[in-house]
Amino acid sequence: MVLNGMNNIVVIAKDLIKKYGTRIAVAGISFTVSRGEIFGLIGPNGAGKTTTLRMTATLIKPDNGEIFIKNINALKDPVNARKYIGYLPEEAEVYPRLTGYEHLLFYAKLRKPDHVDEAVEFGVKLSGLGKRIYDKAGDYSKGMKRRLLLAIALMTRPDLAILDEPTSGLDVYASVRVRNLIREYVRETGSSVILSSHNMLEVEYLCDRIAFISRGKIVSVGYPKEILEKYSASNLEEAFVKAVEEAGYKYEGL
Amino acid sequence: MKGYNFKVLLWKELLDLSRDYKTLATSLLLPLIFFPLLGFLSLALVTQQPVNIAIVDMDRVELQNRLLNLTFSSTDLVDKLIDGLKKYGFNVYIANDSDVVYNSSIDLVIIIPKGFTFNLSSLNSTAHVEIYRRANVQACARAEAIARSIINGYSNAISKEKVEAIIRVTGLNATSTAILYPISTKLQLVTIGGQEVSAEVELKGLFARVLVLALSVVITPATSFIIDGIIGERERKTIEMILSLPLPVSLIIYSKLVAATMLGLLTAIADALGFVSYVVLTTMALGGSLSLPIDPILLLLHSIVAFFTILVTICIALPFITRTRGIRSASNIASGIAIIGTIVFFTGFIVDYSRLPTTIKSVLYIIPYTHSILSIQYYVVGYTFQALIHLMVLVILSFVLLLFSTKMLNTEKMLLAPPT
Repeated sequence: MVLNGMNNIVVIAKDLIKKYGTRIAVAGISFTVSRGEIFGLIGPNGAGKTTTLRMTATLIKPDNGEIFIKNINALKDPVNARKYIGYLPEEAEVYPRLTGYEHLLFYAKLRKPDHVDEAVEFGVKLSGLGKRIYDKAGDYSKGMKRRLLLAIALMTRPDLAILDEPTSGLDVYASVRVRNLIREYVRETGSSVILSSHNMLEVEYLCDRIAFISRGKIVSVGYPKEILEKYSASNLEEAFVKAVEEAGYKYEGL
Repeated sequence: MKGYNFKVLLWKELLDLSRDYKTLATSLLLPLIFFPLLGFLSLALVTQQPVNIAIVDMDRVELQNRLLNLTFSSTDLVDKLIDGLKKYGFNVYIANDSDVVYNSSIDLVIIIPKGFTFNLSSLNSTAHVEIYRRANVQACARAEAIARSIINGYSNAISKEKVEAIIRVTGLNATSTAILYPISTKLQLVTIGGQEVSAEVELKGLFARVLVLALSVVITPATSFIIDGIIGERERKTIEMILSLPLPVSLIIYSKLVAATMLGLLTAIADALGFVSYVVLTTMALGGSLSLPIDPILLLLHSIVAFFTILVTICIALPFITRTRGIRSASNIASGIAIIGTIVFFTGFIVDYSRLPTTIKSVLYIIPYTHSILSIQYYVVGYTFQALIHLMVLVILSFVLLLFSTKMLNTEKMLLAPPT
């Protein structure tokens, strides 16, 4: 693949396929993310969002397809590609015996060894934990832990932040704080973000461009306004339901 | 850069470990407290077991052998038995009747039958003492052994007196020692090179065996720690962020291996100290004295051997551990390896591997732990070169297995539990 003239593109994912045994988790997903863009992956549980994000973060290898991060072939050189990525997993946890500050220090030393102090300082600011940053992370509330983990993912100002359900399990107040933090971060750094979410309000507030995923495939992608027009919907929630149902998704619950 | 990253990863592992008080207490403090406590406790319980001994002197006479000009009395032996047995804390009673054997509260009965003094004083018959011991009572067996040694001591003293009297009466040019002990043996301990050494060297050998046995108990905490470091991180959901760092996964694993091995090494030292204090304290408490010669080179060798033994164990376990579903199945694998290790090290405690035939040794060489044992055993018997060779083999095996196990690492398998 020739990438000349695509300097503004941070991520190119092409025809990604991933199977776990006989189950197909991702069935041919392609997308691009531009510099300074927040790209949202939206889909029901088990649609393949986390697998797509993990493949993009080079944690798992696709069975087929290609991923380029800042023109680096992420499948061939994952360690180099990870230098440009900050990653927040959906169900990440902290080390309970380490303080918040020690968490920041540890990750900063490994991600930005030449700018440790600067990264840690930014991390402390991003976390908003104040003096609690020196407490053991095991004593933090769920919201505080999530903010710390988000700060770890973003403190080195990576070119690409991959955030899997960044407000997962947080209360309304903490969710608002995290969303504001992401938005401010992108505005301040010009970094790109790929995030997954169930929360349409969050997606509408944060994302420049979105992709609806169902059964391991992108069923619709575009700017929120375009998608609303395409499905003649008044909000993204309605558009999402129409998009996934058009793609053959049937909810099997009550 | 790799060195810097490794240091940072190791810093985090050790910082986390240093605050894991439960692991530290169970791995380090427990053997230091547990083994001496075991020694004290077993001794305290032994001395708390009351043993009731009855002595029945049915003879109670004093006779003189006019020819030898010696006087004999059953009371002499009774007095010696009372004094000797009371010293060890046994309850000693004097009974008048041999029916005391049927008294259930009496554990040991020593009967001096009628005619004992007569036989003792004669030159052509043997005096007998009857001992009745309650079966299957350990404390009674100890009391019986002590009573026998008192009787034997008394018997030897009487022999000597009689022989000296015969020499005196007959005017023979003889000594009691030459008659009683016509053959004597002399033992001199020597090294492989033939140099004379003291009995302390034997103790060094005992100490080395203890060190070999101590290796068996360090495998488990080290493998548990590595299981916790990999499977535990997956279950606690901390591994994904670590794996997303711009580092080769092998470097992350190396830091965990070294931290686990360091913990194992400290455990090995704590266990060895615990074992030694157990042996010394129990021996001292039982009235003996034992000063173990501490050879700093042997301790250093043991530390190095322990380090690489743990590393080898973890490297063997690693490919299996990273492919298991959870801590329980990983622990089962680790237990299997620990059992093999325990069996091998226990045989190293009772068998001189260095003396085994080459054919058997050649087969055993396949097991890395054989080199751990041989390295220590060869050093103790003076074969320093062979000890170094086996240490080198252990080191090489460790690195080969380390490379092999990290080559088999798979980020995806570490991140996602395999399907059932």
